[in-house]
Amino acid sequence: MKLSARKKLNEWLITLPSLTWLAIFFLIPTIGIFVIAFKPANIDGSVGSGWTWHTIFSMSDPNYPAIIWRTIWLTCVGTAICLLLAIPMGYYIARVSPRWRNYLLMLVIVPFWTNFLIRIFAWKVLLHPEGIVKQILLALNLVEPNTILLYNSGAVLLVIVYSYLPFAILPIFAAAEKFDFSLFEAALDLGANRFQAFIKVFLPNIKVGLISATLMVFIPALGSYIIPEIVGGPDGEMIGNKIAQRVFVDRNLPHASALSAILTFVIMIPMLVVLTAQKREETIPQKKVGGRP
Amino acid sequence: MADFLEFVNVSKSFGSLKVLDNVSITVQRGEIFSLLGPSGCGKTTLLRICAGFEQPDSGKVLLNGKEITPLPPHRRQVNTVFQSYALFPHLTVWENIAFGLRIAKKPKAEIQDKVEKYLDMIQMTDHAQKKPSQLSGGQKQRVAIARALINAPQVLLLDEPLAALDLKLRQRMLVELDEIHDKVGITFLFVTHDQNEAMSISDHIAILNAGRLEQMGKPAEIYEAPRTSFVAAFIGDTNFFDGVVIETKETEYSRLHIDGFVDVLVYNDKPKKVGDFVHLSVRPEKISIAHDEPAKTEKNHRNLIRGKVEDVIYLGANTKYWVRVGEYKIAISKQHKRFLLDEKPILWGDTVWLFWEADDSYMLDRYRAEDEQLLSLPSSVD
Amino acid sequence: MRSKIPFYTTICVLIFFYLPLLVLAVNSFNESMYGGSWKGFTWKWYIQLFHNQEIWNALQKSLLIGIAATLMAMILGTMAAFALHRYSSKLQFFHYTLIYTPMVVPEILMGMSLLLFFVALGIDLSLVTIFIAHVTFCIGYVALVVLGQLQEFDFSILEAAMDLGADWWTAIRKVLLPLLAPGIIAGGLLAFTLSIDDFVVTFFVAGPGATTLPLRIYSMMRKGAPTVINALSVILLIITFIIVFFSQRLRQSKP
Repeated sequence: MKLSARKKLNEWLITLPSLTWLAIFFLIPTIGIFVIAFKPANIDGSVGSGWTWHTIFSMSDPNYPAIIWRTIWLTCVGTAICLLLAIPMGYYIARVSPRWRNYLLMLVIVPFWTNFLIRIFAWKVLLHPEGIVKQILLALNLVEPNTILLYNSGAVLLVIVYSYLPFAILPIFAAAEKFDFSLFEAALDLGANRFQAFIKVFLPNIKVGLISATLMVFIPALGSYIIPEIVGGPDGEMIGNKIAQRVFVDRNLPHASALSAILTFVIMIPMLVVLTAQKREETIPQKKVGGRP
Repeated sequence: MADFLEFVNVSKSFGSLKVLDNVSITVQRGEIFSLLGPSGCGKTTLLRICAGFEQPDSGKVLLNGKEITPLPPHRRQVNTVFQSYALFPHLTVWENIAFGLRIAKKPKAEIQDKVEKYLDMIQMTDHAQKKPSQLSGGQKQRVAIARALINAPQVLLLDEPLAALDLKLRQRMLVELDEIHDKVGITFLFVTHDQNEAMSISDHIAILNAGRLEQMGKPAEIYEAPRTSFVAAFIGDTNFFDGVVIETKETEYSRLHIDGFVDVLVYNDKPKKVGDFVHLSVRPEKISIAHDEPAKTEKNHRNLIRGKVEDVIYLGANTKYWVRVGEYKIAISKQHKRFLLDEKPILWGDTVWLFWEADDSYMLDRYRAEDEQLLSLPSSVD
Repeated sequence: MRSKIPFYTTICVLIFFYLPLLVLAVNSFNESMYGGSWKGFTWKWYIQLFHNQEIWNALQKSLLIGIAATLMAMILGTMAAFALHRYSSKLQFFHYTLIYTPMVVPEILMGMSLLLFFVALGIDLSLVTIFIAHVTFCIGYVALVVLGQLQEFDFSILEAAMDLGADWWTAIRKVLLPLLAPGIIAGGLLAFTLSIDDFVVTFFVAGPGATTLPLRIYSMMRKGAPTVINALSVILLIITFIIVFFSQRLRQSKP
């Protein structure tokens, strides 16, 4: 009894520092978002006293659904493109010799150790009317001279893919590296062509990597703020920009909180989908074990 | 019976390493054919060429008289049981076995029927809904075999299918494999490095060494009449002696002079002239060992030598002796009727008589330098 | 018999990754402001950069916060990793969730929530609030890296040390910590890069005058002095490459 009490004390002693820090500076502030969303805003920018539904109702302002919708589709399309590029790339990196594998991984990681802002800025330079991409596309006759590449949803999508693609490549590579490629041969041997083997054997076996790749791209992309801020313009705004505007321009914190709460809910959706899918997966084999009569 | 599966002058290199050197092998319909050899001899590459995972640099593969060399793996009526089984971890046993039929878009009812039939054959009906990770090694093995056989291939390729199992299970699976073969009557091409497996299950064996075909034949032919020193040493144990022919006798026998030994009489399985260098091989179990000098036989084609026992290893089923004669240390394997009751057991340090019939030894060409290492390995105890 | 698609995808993606950085580097030597065309070689952007006192001040602040936040996160993260590894109670499940969630929550939400928190408590925004924010999002990374190493750690070594007469504390200090040092340092390096790089969270919780390097870069970008940023990017890129190169060397030289 005494021993277990001491063990409990030790556990609390070693857990307390990080637990306290995160509870105070992460958990409470996060809950705060949901609380402040029900507070009135004062004209001077401070949070008023009392409670109100006003802020929540104001979310039906026709401006918001359009931006929420744009945020979701940009994120979904961006995630899909990232997966589409990351799957063959993760596959390729897993199949080359260990030496080349290291080099390729380095090549994937290194550019993303440079400053995030600078990377986005580089695209602003590239897509600028006098920038190289525009000049090349003009030379190839692919765009009109007055086409604007910057400040629209397309530019935001491009930079989202650019920024979050490595987060898709790495987990898919990690899963593909563990994949036993003799399974691929087994599928060919059993009559599958390469495409069938890829779909029916490779993809199901890197499922874990695909899920974490999806989440790793989806969640930060949904909360994008600085990407649309720099390359998006008014036509490429996302929820993140609206939150920042409410904070820095209107100084309306309850409004910003309500928007943040909506963003939090949208993020919960894919996570809940994954969690329930995993739960189901865990229970299915147990039900079926024992086989058919 | 017609030749069914043929490898014609197949060569293959990986970079500068030649793994198959002009190998020609013929397999007959319905038999179990083993590719036997030490690791790196090219046997697995030959199997993979047959399955379509590798392309030969030159030569071709014929199945039923038709060339299949250019066909991709999924177009060949050949299925493989992989060494690691390569069962699909995301699919159940049932789905694993159904994989090939589903790919071939067979009707549902037919798939259901066949899968159940094969589950029954491998006695895995109760485990149909398990995932491969829930199976034991032997069960995985059986699923892998069923998964391949259900597609009714012309040839079933087995790549060291028993290597991952422990000894007892290996022996049991070997019997099961033989039973399955009897049931389905499909040609089995079996790759192994284990001579016991190959000897016990095969109708024919091809022995490969360093990418070359050493000998092809029935198990008994290979054991009793090895054509090369490599085969003699690789299949079972043997004693080698280097000698020179000094006399040919009655055209049927030659007398050899062996340095540091006595002159011995040997049966002429190949014509030899006086002065030829030969490599003499005598199997340990062909040599008799005794305290007393044996009585002379009528034909007197017996070689008789005295030596001193340097080692005795009791193995249960038989006993191994190593006897020093001159510069040779000769291995002898003897079965006892009653080891403990022997009145005068042969012990370390005893001087004994060794004798064997001239017909029980054979002359081989000198082995190649690259075989040296393999042949100098201590002979296996089992 | 292999498909060429993965290979070509890889090549294209790598070009996609490096093209912007390459253009940035070339433009940093270009007389032209937007680099649509080459107007001649120049060092002037680099010279302007070195005379830009604001950037040096911002860098100083970034380093100060980075080092302080990293040290704090290393201490808290390492302790957290020990707790998570050693115990498996309901408390640790909650603890793990708290460690893990900040890493998946979008930065804007974290910045927003911390800003609300500081405003609600009437805390003035300053370098300290940035420090608090950075520690908060760094703890998880340090904890997970150290936890990974703890899982590979052979704890019988500790028992061996105690068997040889070391007390509990000595065993931890002389055996466990030195062996875990690579993990703790790796976690710290990760935390440091995250701290130095962070814009969004910092942007929300920075007070007047607390301008870190990313904040300075951002305001320069808005004001439109892209060419000096090009030059700065190239210098940061070179520093990154050198660090990566040496850390790779260090990893390879280990057995």
